[in-house]
Formats: sequence, structure tokens, C-alpha cells
Amino acid sequence: MFDRLFYREKGLFLQSLHPAAVLVYLLVLLILSLVYEHPLYLLALLLLVALLIREADGMEAWEGFLKAGIFLMLVVMVVNPLVIRAGKTIIWHGPAVPFLGKLDISLEAVYFGAASSLRLLVVISIFCLYNLVINPDRVLNLFSRVAGKSVLVLTLATRLFPTMVRDLQRIKEVQQLRGVDFDTGSLWQRARKYSGLYNVLLLSSLEGAMEIAESMQARAFGSGRRSTYSRNLLRPRDLFCLGSSVLALLAAVWGLHYGCGRYTFYPEADFLIKDGATLAVLFIVLFYLSVPLLLSEGWKHCRFLKSKI
Amino acid sequence: MPLFKVENLTYCYPGTEEPALKNISLEIQEGEFLLVTGGSGSGKSTLARVLAGLIPDFYGGRIGGRVFFKGKEIRTTDRRRLAREVGMVFQDPEKQIVQNSVEAELAFGLENLGLPLEEMSRRIAEVSAFMNLSPFRESLTANLSGGQKQMLALASVLAMQPHVLILDEPTSQLDPVSAEEILNAVKRLNEEMGFTVIMVEQRLERCFHLADRALLMDRGEIVFHGSVREEARAALSSGLPFVPPVARFFAALNFKVVPVTVKEGRELLRSHLKGNPAPALAATSPPETAAPEEEQESAISLKSVWFRYPEGPEVLKDVSLDIQAGQFTAILGENGSGKSTLLKIMVGLFKPGRGRVYVHGRELGHCGFREVRKFTAYLSQNPNDYLFQDTVEDELLFTMRNTGVEDRKLVDEILHRLQLERYRRRNPRDLSSGERQRVALASVLVTRPGLIMLDEPTRGIDLRLKTELGHFLREESAAGRTVIVVTHDVEFAAEFAEKVVMLGAGRIVTAGEKHAVLGTSVFYSPQIGKLCRGICDGVLTLAEAQEHLGPLLTAKPAGLRGEQAVWG
Repeated sequence: MFDRLFYREKGLFLQSLHPAAVLVYLLVLLILSLVYEHPLYLLALLLLVALLIREADGMEAWEGFLKAGIFLMLVVMVVNPLVIRAGKTIIWHGPAVPFLGKLDISLEAVYFGAASSLRLLVVISIFCLYNLVINPDRVLNLFSRVAGKSVLVLTLATRLFPTMVRDLQRIKEVQQLRGVDFDTGSLWQRARKYSGLYNVLLLSSLEGAMEIAESMQARAFGSGRRSTYSRNLLRPRDLFCLGSSVLALLAAVWGLHYGCGRYTFYPEADFLIKDGATLAVLFIVLFYLSVPLLLSEGWKHCRFLKSKI
Repeated sequence: MPLFKVENLTYCYPGTEEPALKNISLEIQEGEFLLVTGGSGSGKSTLARVLAGLIPDFYGGRIGGRVFFKGKEIRTTDRRRLAREVGMVFQDPEKQIVQNSVEAELAFGLENLGLPLEEMSRRIAEVSAFMNLSPFRESLTANLSGGQKQMLALASVLAMQPHVLILDEPTSQLDPVSAEEILNAVKRLNEEMGFTVIMVEQRLERCFHLADRALLMDRGEIVFHGSVREEARAALSSGLPFVPPVARFFAALNFKVVPVTVKEGRELLRSHLKGNPAPALAATSPPETAAPEEEQESAISLKSVWFRYPEGPEVLKDVSLDIQAGQFTAILGENGSGKSTLLKIMVGLFKPGRGRVYVHGRELGHCGFREVRKFTAYLSQNPNDYLFQDTVEDELLFTMRNTGVEDRKLVDEILHRLQLERYRRRNPRDLSSGERQRVALASVLVTRPGLIMLDEPTRGIDLRLKTELGHFLREESAAGRTVIVVTHDVEFAAEFAEKVVMLGAGRIVTAGEKHAVLGTSVFYSPQIGKLCRGICDGVLTLAEAQEHLGPLLTAKPAGLRGEQAVWG
């Protein structure tokens, strides 16, 4: 059930990128999604990330992420208009409520709530994209030179987590056939049933941990200074991605310096397209950020490009 | 100078007074293939860990005597140097893989040795090619099959280029075809590359013939060591079961020289039966104890069952099957063929995508397992999934409480039948793997269910316990209970089951009376079946071979039999 939310090797172009290139790219996307206030810019980022998710064959996984984030988005959209009084265009005069005072819902507050939800959607989608295109093992490999032991612990955790999910499912099945009904009884009774389940998992995991440790010791782990095996190859495609990410960030910073990407919600919402510069900067930033998407499409359809990148 | 020299070795695990190894003295020569066998708790795995330098370094405990490797005491040998020289592969591939990707796993040991990147790349490329792992280098370890995982475990040790390879039951979790691949690789390493191999193994039919020398252990002591042929004779004369079926067959007929391979056995049989043809066993005849199928009630019936996991490929495809009440059925097939899934569908844990499942004539509805658990015992692959109570008795009472069974006499009865009375007040987690298996079995059988379904019950248990389990299940079947066992163990299925179902890629390849199914298979055939194939068709078990071929072979004097052996 959780499998589709995690990384799965599909032989995609985006998965073949150097983890450093993807990390930088996603970091730029994340920074921009947090810095931009303009709804149009956020919408453009969402569109781009959605296309990338589709390119990574992850629409189903995205659905899973969105389901998890939808509650938060609703909270933001509902709470913001109720508590913010800065808007000028009142669209509904509500009754007085203890603690909150008079419930006057303004158009600007609704607008700001929607834009904040949009930002949340973009951030969630970026994390979804991360899960789809980055092999956690390769990211850890990237950092193993500087933090070898911590990386190994994380690697083991990422390897063993799906195994533990499977074990838990199996133990639950076994207990169900031994007469345990996990969905009946009071809260206390259910908690007791689940504690038995986790007890088995803990005992078995501890025994399993000893076996893994023994296998590690047999392969000289801890016998002295380790070296690092790097499996990540740097290809032209990685340089393109890195370069375009840096250019996108520079263009965005330059634009923000001149107010492109900023937006005023209160007391009165700004025009969506104030001037030509707003669109021009958006176009430039979006173009640079689209490079991985364009390369992926080219990789699929153009033999020449495929052989060159 | 011997490669290993062990002098008066005695070892006790921490917190125990009973030695796991008693006064062991032994020499192992370079390039040798040594087979270490014996029952559960005989100390064979402990000895392997001593030779790998893991005892007492990793386990602690008290150790007496001395162990030398290349003339130097092993305890004073630098651990990194020892790991470069001696590699060890363990039983469970799941419990020895550390990394997420195949390539990273191959590099793990090399990183620990501190090798430079170029050297690591070269070794990984070499070992991947040798072990046929190159196509999987970029794959995630979680996506490999059981056989591939064990191959990877072996490869990651080989990448460290040791001179000695110690293997602790490396094929016990694998289907016969995957096991054969591992053993072939080990054979090549020994014969073509000069590796010294020390293999701990209980399924002797697979590897007896590969070894130069065998070591038989019992209760921490070496009972015998010598050539495999001598071991066969010594084990049989001491009444120990640690002999492959072919050798057991000829030794029981007092042949002077005992063959240890199917090839040798067949040559011997042919030379003896010349002009004296053996009557073929009626291959499709049902066992005498089985009543005609149409007279029996159907315990489980599957009609065109299809199943797929979410996001996964189809695991079961159009499976239709009838299992009669009181029948002992074995389900065989390669890893990933859908055997365990089929069992879970029968027991109501999974609902088929299409098709119907009937248990005792009633279709399994939405409640699934809740409808059948009162009269069903289900044992998963891992007995540890069952053990979390403080005592063995509590483990049984837990099931009884949940299913509303109150008769405490049932606890005494099942503990007695499974020979667990003396462990009644012990914590189940303190018991050996074979004992844990029996406790898990007791915890599901305590309600006296009519339907017994076991998933790989012979995994990791020794020949004696396996035989006891087989007899127990046969008795249950004779008492009218339906027994269904999913297994890789062809020998077990041939010996004890009545009906065999063979699954391949999610479909039933063949199903029927065991002689009809196993007698016609090459890879899924017991060793006695392979011995008698084309000579006395249809024979699968030792008892059948003795009954049908014994009189023909014993017609000649014993001395003559020995002299006529073509390989003697």
C-alpha cells in the first residue's frame, strides 16, 4: 500500500540524474516556493512540478501525497479568513464570536488563504517529486564521505523500514488468525492488542539486528578506516540541470529585487499582472526551471540528444 | 601446514553453562571442501563462527583451547586481515544485506577494508560478471528474489577475495533450482579457483557429493570426520540420519561401498539389474490409505481464482483446485510462484480479485478469515511471528482465550504430542529454532482445528525434527484433518504428502497424486526418484525403493555386490 509513495527504480531520465544535480534543482524549487508570494508564480511552479511528477510516472503517488495534505490546506483556507481582519473588501458580515470577535470575512483574506494553500500544495508536491526521482541510497552515498557512520545508520533504516512494514503486516495476519480482532473492543483493549503486535515486531527486529550486525562484522565493518565507493556518474545532463538551477535562482533573486514575485494582499489585493516585467521574469525563471523537463522529453524522443546528454 | 588447526576447543555462549562445543580438535587443509553436518544444536554453526573469527569476538562467552589460521592463533590475527582471508555467508539472505542497491552491497565489504575506488570498481565488475549479477547492479536489493539475494550475499563476500569461504546453510531458504545455482557457484569456486570451502548443511542430498570430507557433529562434539563415504557408513551404523537418501538406500542393503551421488547409484543399480528388470511402480496409483476422491468431502475448493497485489503483477492466474478433507497436500514451486499467496487466499487473509473460494462447502464471504479461523491452523514462514508471551504455555493459552476454547487439557495434550512439556515454563524466545517452530505449531494447533495450513514448516530444522514433523502431520491427516503444506522441500513432500500441487508463475502446472507429479519431474524429484528414474519408474521414497528393488538387489551375495561397483 505504501510502496507507491516510496522511490521505485523505473529507468526514467529524471532518475538517472546525479543526486547532487537533483538536490540542487529541488532546493531551488523549494526556496522559490517559499519566497514567492505572487499567486501566479506559485501557480506556475505548481504546474511545472505537476508536469515533472507526470514525467516521473508518479500521478498516483502524487494523489497519495495530496490526500495527506488536503486537510492542512483546508485548515489554512478556512482559518485564515476567520482570523485575519486586514482585508478591506468585506464579502460577509458574520456574528460576534467569543475570542475571535466579529466575523467579517474579507475577500483579501480568502485570497491570501487560497494563495497559502497553493504554496503548501507546491511544497508537498516537491517532496513527492523528491520521493519519485531520488534514490535515497544514492543521496546517502553522496554524503557518506563526510558522515560515513551516520549515513550507514540512515541507509540501514531506509532498507529496514519497508521490511518492518511487511513484517508488521504478516504478524498482524498471524494474530488475526489466532483470534485477535484489532478493530473491535474499547480504545484500551485495542491499544493492548496493538501493543502485543508491536511486542512481536520489536523482539524479532532485535534478533534480526544481531544477525545483520554479525554479517557486518564478518565483512570487516569497524576494523579500521573505511573508504567510500562512489557510484554517481556526472553526465552533461547533470551540468545542464545544475547550471539551469543556478540561473533560475539568480533570475528569481534579480526579479525579487525589482518586486517581481512579490504580491500585496492587504489591505487591498494587488493586480495579478501589474506590468510586463512580472510576466517576463516569470517566463525566464520558468524557462530555466523547465530544463530537466525539456531534457527528459528530448531524451525520450530525440536519439541525437539522448546520445549527447 | 594445515590452513586451520583447532586444538581442544571448548566454548560456552554467554549465560550458559552447557558447552556448545566440547573438546574439538580438527585440521582443515587448503583447497579442501569440508561438509559440516549434524542436528539442530549440534554445534556446527558455532564451529563455523569460530573459524570465521566471530566467536568469541562478536558473541563473547567462554572459550578454551586454541584455533590457528595459517599457523597463527586466530584471536591474535588482525580482524581486517582475517576478513580478507575468510569470508562467511549466512543462512538468511534478508538478514545479511545492509545496503539498498546491489552495487552498494557489493562495495560494502570493500569499503570496510579501506580499498581505493579503482580497486573497488575492478573487483565489483569482476564479481558481478562471475556471479551473473551484472544486469542487477543498479537494482534495489529489495526487488531481488530469494535466490538472487543469496547470490548477492555470496558475491559481496567474494568481492573481498577471501581464500576461505564458510557457508552456514546457504540454501535452506531457497527453492531447489535457486539452491542448485548457489551450489554450482560454490563448486566452481572450489574446483576452478582453489577456494577452501567449509559448508554447514543439513540437506545432504544437495551437497554431499561436492565435499571431499565430512564432519558429523552431535551435542557439541565431532562424532566422525573422514571421507563422505566413510561418514555415510559411520552415520548409518550410529543410527544418525545425516546421510543422503541414495547412500542410505545402498548402505541399508549392506553394500560394501556406498555411492553418494545419483550417477554412481544409477550405475550400480544398472550393473546389478542387468537381465533382471525391475517392475515399474504404477506411477499414477493412489496410495493405499487414500480413498477415491469422489467419495470424500472437499475441504477447500478454488474456482478460477485470480489475484494481484496493488501495483503488482498477477500473482495467481486462473487457479482451480480441490483439496479433499483428510488429505495431506504439498504445494511446491519456485520462489515467487504464488504458493504463500495461495495459502493466504485459502485461509481468507486475501480476497481473490476474481473467482471463488469454498471452505468445507461454504463460500468465503466478506469476513474472510473470521469465518474459518475457528477450525483452521495457519503457520506462517517465520515461527518468531507467534512468540511474544512469557512462557510456552501462555503462548497456547493466548490462542485459546481469543478463540473461546476453555478446555485446559488440550494444552497438556498438544505439548505432549509435540514433545514440549519440559519447555512449558520457558520463554519461547530462549528456545532453539526447531523448538520455536514446534511452539508456534502448538500455539495454532491447540484448538484442535480440522484444517492445518503450514507455510515452509521445514525451513531451518534438522532431518530428525523434519521426520518427526512429517509423522505428526501424517497422523493428523489419518485422524481426518486436512493438511496443506507449502514447501521447497521435495524430499519432505515425497516422503509424507499424498497429493502434490506444483505452481509455476502463478498457475497450477500440475496437481495430483504425488507419484504422478513428482515421478515425472526432473528438478522437483526426490533423490530416490532420480535414482530410480528409467530403472524402476514411480519410486519416490526410500521405503518404496527398498520394497521394489531390495529383493532384486539382495538376491546376490553381499561380497559380490561390493566388487561389482563400477566406481569402487
